[in-house]
Amino acid sequence: MGAPSIPRALAIGAVAFVALVAAPLATGSTVLIDFVIRLSALAIFATSLNLLAGYGGMVSFGHGMFYGFGAYCFALMMQRTGVSIPVAFLTTVVGAALVSAIIGAICVRLKEVYFSFVTLAFQMLIHAIILAAMPLTGGDQGLRGGVPRPVFLGVDLSNQMQLCVFSAFLLVASLLVMHHVVASPFGATLRMIRDNAQRAAYLGVAVDRVRLKAFVIAAVFAAVGGVVQALFVSGAYPEFAYWTMSGEGIFVIMLGGLTTFLGPTLGSVIMLLLNDVVTRFTHYHGLVLGIVILVAALGLRKGLGDFVVERLADRRRQEAA
Amino acid sequence: MSTDKTRGGHPTASDAVSRRSALALAGSAALVTVAAPWVARAQAKTIRIGMPTILSGRVATLGISSRNAVMMEVEKVNAAGGLAGRPIEMVVRDSKGQPQEAARVVRELVNTDGCEIIIDAEASSAAFAVHEVARDLGMLTIHTCSETSQLSADPKLRIPNAFRCVRQGVHDSVAGAAYAAKIAKEKGLKKWATCSPDYAYGRDTTAEFIYYLKQFVPEVEVISESWPKLFQPDYTETITKLLQANPQAIYSCIWGGDLTAFIDQGNLYGVFGKAAFFAVNMADYTVLTAVKNLPAGVHSGNRYIKTFPTTPQNAAWGDAYRQKYNEYPTNWSWENAAAVNFLAEAAKKAGSTDGKKMSEALKGLTIDSPFGMNGKITMRAEDQTIVDYAIGWGTTIPKEPYMPNVTPGDWKQIVEYETAWKKSKGYL
Repeated sequence: MGAPSIPRALAIGAVAFVALVAAPLATGSTVLIDFVIRLSALAIFATSLNLLAGYGGMVSFGHGMFYGFGAYCFALMMQRTGVSIPVAFLTTVVGAALVSAIIGAICVRLKEVYFSFVTLAFQMLIHAIILAAMPLTGGDQGLRGGVPRPVFLGVDLSNQMQLCVFSAFLLVASLLVMHHVVASPFGATLRMIRDNAQRAAYLGVAVDRVRLKAFVIAAVFAAVGGVVQALFVSGAYPEFAYWTMSGEGIFVIMLGGLTTFLGPTLGSVIMLLLNDVVTRFTHYHGLVLGIVILVAALGLRKGLGDFVVERLADRRRQEAA
Repeated sequence: MSTDKTRGGHPTASDAVSRRSALALAGSAALVTVAAPWVARAQAKTIRIGMPTILSGRVATLGISSRNAVMMEVEKVNAAGGLAGRPIEMVVRDSKGQPQEAARVVRELVNTDGCEIIIDAEASSAAFAVHEVARDLGMLTIHTCSETSQLSADPKLRIPNAFRCVRQGVHDSVAGAAYAAKIAKEKGLKKWATCSPDYAYGRDTTAEFIYYLKQFVPEVEVISESWPKLFQPDYTETITKLLQANPQAIYSCIWGGDLTAFIDQGNLYGVFGKAAFFAVNMADYTVLTAVKNLPAGVHSGNRYIKTFPTTPQNAAWGDAYRQKYNEYPTNWSWENAAAVNFLAEAAKKAGSTDGKKMSEALKGLTIDSPFGMNGKITMRAEDQTIVDYAIGWGTTIPKEPYMPNVTPGDWKQIVEYETAWKKSKGYL
């Protein structure tokens, strides 16, 4: 996997961005607009988790804490300080980096299931703090009163269409940056550590430091996903930082594919479509979702993205032979 | 049709034609059947009301009981000519109780399904998420399940198009404390213990109850506090703590299945024989009918009970609901039913289904209602929330009618203390 040259990456990004916003802009359909916003939040979150789990071999059960952190930090900045949206956004990103550096420094030293459980423990800690800090966060009722959105650089995020374009931009930009990370020598090192940490260490790689960097990068993007979600619901709720959020991320990755970069994005599309369509007809959506996951796990034995990519590779090989 | 002709041999050409035409006929008939409601709707200008609620998971029973009550009342409204002449069509959708999902569902209901009014049957955080959507989209919204006082009391949150048709934590606390104070004085109950679920509702309601109780009876002293987790299956620890503290009275706002479990387990240790037990959420049919050995003489606030208000209208409503759905209504049922009644009355007064006109009509509107303290409920104009609904306390017996005698609360006193509470919070 080579990194595409910067102009080529930007061109791909521009095409993807246009493709994302074309349908909502052309039709003006509020359902499509809402869908793109929610997709952006979930896909950024799931891809960031995949950076850890798929590329770094660190299956975090607590990744939702950074999603929640992003939502709360951004919404609180907007409510309490009256700063502009870019300032609140940057503060959230920096804050997520700092918090994740501290939590990550403890977590990344642990391997496999121990890593998973310590991340889960930190998540419960963050969730408990959100519940306990009533005067600041509103406790289990969530952060109420709406997130103010002053106009910045001519962008008015209280207009749902503009929020849709903004979210799509964040999604594409995040995916490009994360892809760059994955495709860089750093990404190669990360995969080497995933496959054989001991060997990497013998080759002179500072294993924990690389893992920590990946942890911080993933957390920062999870927080970006949280910002988009906070803008969508105009608030922040403790559910965002609960373990079910991390679980949903893992679900999405399983559904879309672990080894394909766009797998989690595809998984997010499937997940949201399933939810939206099924909820219209029945409240047994849990049953339907469970069956789909079973089919993916037992039938395809991998996420849909991985399945398609492998099939295409097989066909190409057969044609070459 | 032509099937009998083809029996025992290959179909002839004429058979095939007749079958094809029969299929075409059936097809067009199906099309008409499918299209008919749309045509009818266009003609009668049906008004769609969207309703997000919790239909799956742990509290699904409450969501279902909300939907049931709404459907029952909508049938009546439609039979009487609908909202200003427009028949109501309900679109009820599951939000799973998640705030982000509730927000999405409401946006979808308004933007895609064309719902003009929202009955927001969401609890706690999801109700606040729906409130923000109402602020954004501006459709008429009635909250029907969130008891958090702040939703209507905080002027910063208030919007002209959102109303609340739900009992309130602070009302319950004042009425409950006044009732408990009377008994505490009579029986000399000074040593109290509390035992409530560990989340905002449990903490706030308990603090308010104790605050008002101490105002009425300054000698009261809280000697033990327990905060079991919400949906906790085992209460041994809490019960042991209560037994050790040996209070004269216990206050609890545990609810639903948790309260059933707490009482069943407390019975094993004889907790309820030793201390007077004040459980605000006891007199709810879902709990009353589920507890194995309901101790007699538990003090409880009314949730929905057929015996209070003691009017034939109230009893008839409870019976009608039971006949239709084969179970008794819940606290959420009456709140949702009353919301539909308010909408019908507001449309009548406004002579229109226009959201703005109906909102204006709703402010300060008083309706006849089986759930009113004196047969009437008012949508208070200044904070767009209901007052004068039935609120009272009584003691339970282990069989029908479960709570035969209810002491009504005093609305004048409730409003007086509520106003003081609002001032202390900086809302006034």
